[in-house]
Amino acid sequence: TMDYNGSKLQHLFSHHLYTVQPTKPPAHHLLLNAHETIRYHRKRIISFNRRRRSHHVDQNGTSQFINADFDFYTPWLQFHLGISKDALYPRSSPVVEQLLEKISNLTIIHADYSPDDKALNGECDCSPIVKPSGTHLKLVLRFQDFGKAMFKPMKQNREDETPEDFFYFVDFQRHNAEIAAFHLDRILDFRRVPPVSGRLINVTEDIFLAAGNSELQTVFFLSPADNVCFFSKCLYMCKTEYAVCGDPHIIEGSLSAYLPSLSYAPRHSVPNPWIRSYTFTGKEEWEMNPSYCDSVKHLHPYTNPRRLLNIIDMAIFDFLIGNMDRHHYEIFTKFGDDGLLLHLDNARGFGRHSQDELSILAPLYQCCMVKDDTWQRLNLLALPEYRLSDVMRESLSADPLPDVLTEPHLLALDRRLQRILEVVRQCAQTYGEEKVVLKNMRKFPR
Amino acid sequence: MKMILVRKFRVLILMVFLIACTMHIMIDLLPKLEKRATRSDGEVGCSCTHNLNEDWGKQRPKNTAESGWPNKHTLRILQDFSSDPSSNLTSHSLEKITGIMDKNDSFKKLEQRETVKDSNNKQLIQDGSIKKPQPGLGYSRLAALFQHPLYKSAIPELTEDDVLFNVNSDIRFNPKAAENQDWQNVGNEPNEEEEFLPTGEAHVDSYPNWLKFHIGINRYELYSRQNPAIGALLQDLSSQKITSVAMKSGGTQLKLIMTFQNYGQALFKPMKQTREQETPPDFFYFSDYERHNAEIAAFHLDRILDFRRVPPVAGRLVNMTKEIRDVTRDKKLWRTFFISPANNICFYGECSYYCSTEHALCGKPDQIEGSLAAFLPDLSLAKRKTWRNPWRRSYHKRKKAEWEVDTDYCEGVKQTPPYDGGTRLLDVIDMTVFDFLMGNMDRHHYETFEKFGNETFIIHLDNGRGFGKYTHDELSILVPLNQCCRIKKSTYLRLQLLAKEEYKLSKLMEESLQMDKITPILFQPHLDAMDRRLRIILKAVSDCLEKLSYDNVVENDLDSDLNNK
Repeated sequence: TMDYNGSKLQHLFSHHLYTVQPTKPPAHHLLLNAHETIRYHRKRIISFNRRRRSHHVDQNGTSQFINADFDFYTPWLQFHLGISKDALYPRSSPVVEQLLEKISNLTIIHADYSPDDKALNGECDCSPIVKPSGTHLKLVLRFQDFGKAMFKPMKQNREDETPEDFFYFVDFQRHNAEIAAFHLDRILDFRRVPPVSGRLINVTEDIFLAAGNSELQTVFFLSPADNVCFFSKCLYMCKTEYAVCGDPHIIEGSLSAYLPSLSYAPRHSVPNPWIRSYTFTGKEEWEMNPSYCDSVKHLHPYTNPRRLLNIIDMAIFDFLIGNMDRHHYEIFTKFGDDGLLLHLDNARGFGRHSQDELSILAPLYQCCMVKDDTWQRLNLLALPEYRLSDVMRESLSADPLPDVLTEPHLLALDRRLQRILEVVRQCAQTYGEEKVVLKNMRKFPR
Repeated sequence: MKMILVRKFRVLILMVFLIACTMHIMIDLLPKLEKRATRSDGEVGCSCTHNLNEDWGKQRPKNTAESGWPNKHTLRILQDFSSDPSSNLTSHSLEKITGIMDKNDSFKKLEQRETVKDSNNKQLIQDGSIKKPQPGLGYSRLAALFQHPLYKSAIPELTEDDVLFNVNSDIRFNPKAAENQDWQNVGNEPNEEEEFLPTGEAHVDSYPNWLKFHIGINRYELYSRQNPAIGALLQDLSSQKITSVAMKSGGTQLKLIMTFQNYGQALFKPMKQTREQETPPDFFYFSDYERHNAEIAAFHLDRILDFRRVPPVAGRLVNMTKEIRDVTRDKKLWRTFFISPANNICFYGECSYYCSTEHALCGKPDQIEGSLAAFLPDLSLAKRKTWRNPWRRSYHKRKKAEWEVDTDYCEGVKQTPPYDGGTRLLDVIDMTVFDFLMGNMDRHHYETFEKFGNETFIIHLDNGRGFGKYTHDELSILVPLNQCCRIKKSTYLRLQLLAKEEYKLSKLMEESLQMDKITPILFQPHLDAMDRRLRIILKAVSDCLEKLSYDNVVENDLDSDLNNK
């Protein structure tokens, strides 16, 4: 085959593997009821605006007060209403593009700590090596249309790799990894990562002034170089991390669209069966026992082969981005064991382009099975006219931030893809292809 | 039937295990027995006994070292005699009666001996005649500098009140200590000089170098210009066996206290940044890292400025396994050792700043660089006073200090004791010059020895936050000089000298730092920055001279010396 000269990304998305139209999901396969959802938000927006207005008056705010408001067609609401049992959003959905556009442009009217952060309740224990996720610097920003996004500021230069002596649990959180993970997930057609966009944030206007929470304002300061900085209280107190600073006001970051509130779309957090020890020396069973997968297969909920195949999809995704920190995954309670696995929190991917961490692939090479459609897509992305690095480069160029991934990271994707294919081929040689590449199935093959 | 088989099997295993154990013990013992045998057979008469004796000398201290902790009893005696307040003789007792001229002569004697012994020190010590600097092969700018008349001025005659410790008398009063020769054998080599010295002085010369350093401290200086013990002490710091390690409590950043074979102690600061890295622009002076190379460079700079107010510091490559983990009794420290994914040994210790996994210090695979700063005499022997720097910063992200707002701040300081008399204010200005050259903004306190009251130099401790930025000159450090417009004549003349091409500060520093084991210590731009900063200081003085008369700005401390004579 020849190299394709037009848009490889469009070429990919028009391939029949990406155009097989599944039947429109029945109502009970949707996460939310449109009617209830709208009513719920209408109520909340009124009290939200009231609280903000009184705060605005208390602060003797002179600036214009912007009311939050939304309509039925606002992208974040459409995104929520489109979440189904199979994916977070339908294929080639216009909603995702619209949502990304809004996230990167809409006025930010409110900033607050993340719920994780609030759960810590201002308490900070510096002694544990692995600190709870609430300690990491991230904020929740709310837009004019009442949509919300999780903000992670830039911590590392694009060119910097994770230092060689760093364990996976002390690695940096990278905003560009969050962005790139979303694009990769879409290209793999998994659609399990909420839409993420890069954005230049004005630390003073978009966060400091928008912070209704005056406690949040206490973490802001002017650096000796006259840049506006802010920090994660706990990590700053423990002196594990310094502040992040604007230049002097502007800072790069990733904004990840919020999922529906846990109060009406509850989620389950499940430990990954291939979890790491999160200690300096300890090893987990899967690292020593090559037939670990056999015991997992007998464990609820992995007795359902679809669930295990989803874990393997996740391992493939994590191996491609080099994310070793997948200790838990989330599922929507409503969909039970059959539903999609959410790939949240990918900021620790794309840390080392010169190294492939094969152990992330353990679920694949220990279980020796992969979904048929995943396998076909991986093969497709290895072809020159759909080459993964090329479609990723093209997809990322749509992001407002330039060069989300450096070239070595993009090329590493191709290399890692080859390794995945090799692993599957080896499995097929040992057990026969029909036992390794599996169609939608209800029982494990004998 | 089966049960019996199993039991028999167990007994068998037990037997095999026992046999293995006895074999192991035998094998362990064998070489020792062999050695003993060859020793008594293979060698002839006299030389054999000699060898045995030598072995003894080496063996004994090694045993005390192996037992882990220095012999506390010995240590106490060592420290006791140097602190006895009733003693009346000084460390310079040798020269005391003969006066300054003779004193210099006897120093020369020491020097000559030292030059033979330690070629490293050659540059520091040369004959008295002053030569014009002649660039060329083997030419040392540093030696030329130390030959300059500005580096020859003598300190006033020392009385018993002017020295920190009085030694010889104590030894006489404390014969036990004098007899206790343990530590003498611990040193690097047996002392060959002993026979040249009058018998009474034998002990002084066989002291460990750290002790010689301590007893050399006087009212005017931490060490004398040609004290041979300083070069030897630097050598000790970088090569002596480390026998125990403890974490320093109370500090903000991780520091380790290392004890050597000869009971000397030093403060270890590990490397945290590469030479090329600058402090990030958004870091405050109080959140900056402490740099091991800054500690080393500060000592050399202080000596080149002829202040001699920084305790000796040397760089060293330390084996983290053998020289830290295996010799520490500190559980808290020991617990933080781990092996990184890249198979390097790392640890992070316990402290309030940057002591977490994210800031772990990792070796390559187990070698880590660091600075070792010689300890000052124990506080129980020589109390020190801590003074608040009048130009201390606010240590707050938003607040400003008074001196940053009030332009007449110095007038107030001048009227406050101890700055209203003596040389204290001028000493603070010296410190300002020193800190500005390094870019150290973190001088919140300084210390003096209590024994000397207010008429003494100030000790420049803790210089790890210097040399953080080479692209930036922090002018606010120079504010005391700008506001007070006063400087010692000796300092001013020396600064002018160091601005001259043939005595260029950066070149002198480069040469001086080359003597360190972990050279290069400073990245070239840091060296160049010092020349640039020196010009800024000289400009500040000349600005003062435009406003005020020479005598109002430049305090003639050189003439006062002459008057004393």
